Amino acid sequence: MRALIETAATAAIILGTALVPAVAHAGSTADIPEPQGLWIGAMHGPTPKMLSGAVVVDLAAIEALMAGKPLLLDVGPAVRKPENFPTDRPWLPIHRSIPNAIWMPGAGAAPLDVGREELFYRRIEELTHGDKAKPIVVFCRPECWGGWNAGKRLVTKGYTNVRWFPAGTDGWQDKRETAEVEPDTEWFAEPTR
Amino acid sequence: MKILALVLCVPLIGGAPGQKVLAADSASIDDERAARWKTISESVFGDRKIEPTETLIKLDAPQRAQDAALTPVTLIMPEKDKIKSVYLVIDDNPSPLAAHVTFGPAADPGSLQLRVRVDTYTNVHAVAETRDGSLFGAVVFVKASGGCSAPVASTDEEAMKGMGEMRMRFTEGAAPGKPMQATLMVRHPNFNGMQMNQLTRNYTPPRYVDKLSVSYGDSKIFDLEADISLSTNPVITFSFVPEGKGPVKVVASDTMNGRWEQSFDMPATTN
Repeated sequence: MRALIETAATAAIILGTALVPAVAHAGSTADIPEPQGLWIGAMHGPTPKMLSGAVVVDLAAIEALMAGKPLLLDVGPAVRKPENFPTDRPWLPIHRSIPNAIWMPGAGAAPLDVGREELFYRRIEELTHGDKAKPIVVFCRPECWGGWNAGKRLVTKGYTNVRWFPAGTDGWQDKRETAEVEPDTEWFAEPTR
Repeated sequence: MKILALVLCVPLIGGAPGQKVLAADSASIDDERAARWKTISESVFGDRKIEPTETLIKLDAPQRAQDAALTPVTLIMPEKDKIKSVYLVIDDNPSPLAAHVTFGPAADPGSLQLRVRVDTYTNVHAVAETRDGSLFGAVVFVKASGGCSAPVASTDEEAMKGMGEMRMRFTEGAAPGKPMQATLMVRHPNFNGMQMNQLTRNYTPPRYVDKLSVSYGDSKIFDLEADISLSTNPVITFSFVPEGKGPVKVVASDTMNGRWEQSFDMPATTN
């Protein structure tokens, strides 16, 4: 059954859009080479057009995938409350994402504490019910290496159906409605590094 | 799928449960945005009622901002003599109350422009408080994103150069007793604590302008209370009525006990 959905989704992607890695993707002007492993430089900045072992997707491709109920993994950063923020003003952080996304702020940071990295893998295993072929769409904000890194981690761990959506939450909210999401309770809202 | 659903609808804000709506279609996202505004307005205005208005306050903001860290927002108050103060609220910023401006006797509260940071596509509300204490609100939707984490400069030192320096630009053709417009620029990085130093990968500690007080002679034009939603190098355009002797005096302070004062002489009057 799942294989059927997968096939349908893949077909839809091919019909729909950017499956082909050679297609230049919006958001990156320069040609940034893929690092060998995880990117450990500044998290904000232009990212490669590709992620080896994963498929780069755009909005239409994600929508084509939706019927197959992919794991939507948002690794966008959480906001930080200034230490000296006055107590008499409202502090009401909100995170908007693709509806039904799982939000693990900072899961694409590198290096990541060993314990946090293990927690990340454990959560993904739980969320995919141990199915390495489960479609996973990983994203962040645009020009965010966190999204790329999180995808790289999944590919390295043997997930075979990883999609990276570099346009991220901005690419989504530009055309579609967002939903408020809370950080994944297991992962909790630790500010990203 | 069970787990997917679990995470989504935990009430976001402590103290206001029961208002969350699972957003999948545009009707529920409207409900969600309305619930968000209710939470914010209760936090800022308590149980004071905010009436919708077409005439007391209007908002002019780009539907799609070119730079989310420098989004110009203009508040227009056509019935200016009724206005005591105005609030600017950027609903989906982590600190939604961007500014509260209280006008003094030397003000011409017909319009006010600020430059703000916008974190994500959001409703922006302007609320006018009239002299009798009533509140009136207007709203626009602004498409801008990433303004809160955008780096200020390549280094913190560079961003802080000349901190507290001010410039004032007056419109031409000043005449005694006639309203005139001025634009104040204050050099200040307005670090909000969310900008990451790209070299050290540490977050720059917050330091932002929280108060601006502008007077003409001994007469107050306005007091501004603000926080992290004002752009780097805050810019505010306002109007005032120059009666008697100037100069225009500005006192700015920030959250690290910075305090700056500067006076500006008006350009020569013309008749």
